[in-house]
Amino acid sequence: MKLKYILGLIIAVVLSVVYYKFNPEVYHFFPECPFHKFLHLDCPGCGSQRALNALLHLNIAKAVDHNLLLVLSIPLLLAQLSVKVYSYFTAQTIILNFWHKPVTPKIIFALVILFWIARNIPVKPFNYLAA
Amino acid sequence: MEDQTPQDPAPFGQQPFGQSPFGGAPTPQPKNWLVESILVTLFCCLPFGIAGIVNAANVNSKYAMGDYAGAQAASAAAGKWTKIGFFCGIGVGILYILFFVVLGMGGALLNR
Repeated sequence: MKLKYILGLIIAVVLSVVYYKFNPEVYHFFPECPFHKFLHLDCPGCGSQRALNALLHLNIAKAVDHNLLLVLSIPLLLAQLSVKVYSYFTAQTIILNFWHKPVTPKIIFALVILFWIARNIPVKPFNYLAA
Repeated sequence: MEDQTPQDPAPFGQQPFGQSPFGGAPTPQPKNWLVESILVTLFCCLPFGIAGIVNAANVNSKYAMGDYAGAQAASAAAGKWTKIGFFCGIGVGILYILFFVVLGMGGALLNR
């Protein structure tokens, strides 16, 4: 196996253990998003670390509460990861076609921007999206 | 969409000049960095990942229109923004860890 895959695997395992053991809501040595620190607004990635902790504890409802976008992207990212792993071990090149459709990045872009705006609106239905 | 291409669009049904002249294997689509930009958007906080997504959109639509040079340029731009976002995220993380190590060592020295 290539060195970069081994290193990536080690980093992924270490990060999973860290995010499983330490809840970022309790321990404050986790980095804070600079966007949130200086502007006091949520960016599309705010809450990801807490959501990751909740996901590792299989608490999907809590993860959705911290960052809905992260939870929604998990199936897509897992699909891509499994295709990559399968391609690596069978020495075939398989690609997921939808990543290369012209409309896919446009939908993702629209979702990210809408999510970014909506989670900063401090009114009842929208504030559930806040980190 | 309105970016200038170096040559006029070829008439319908005709191969554009200089591209796959024998009608053989088409040019493969350049890497669009879409997955990487999504990861940067979700985990590195700074809005560079969004610039990556915009350029990924350009890669896909220019490639679909047959503008291979444009797709290549958009791919390079997408890669650039994704890497900037990634390394900014890593940098912020490392600065944070250093900050806590320094604070911890300072505290340990003061409490001796």
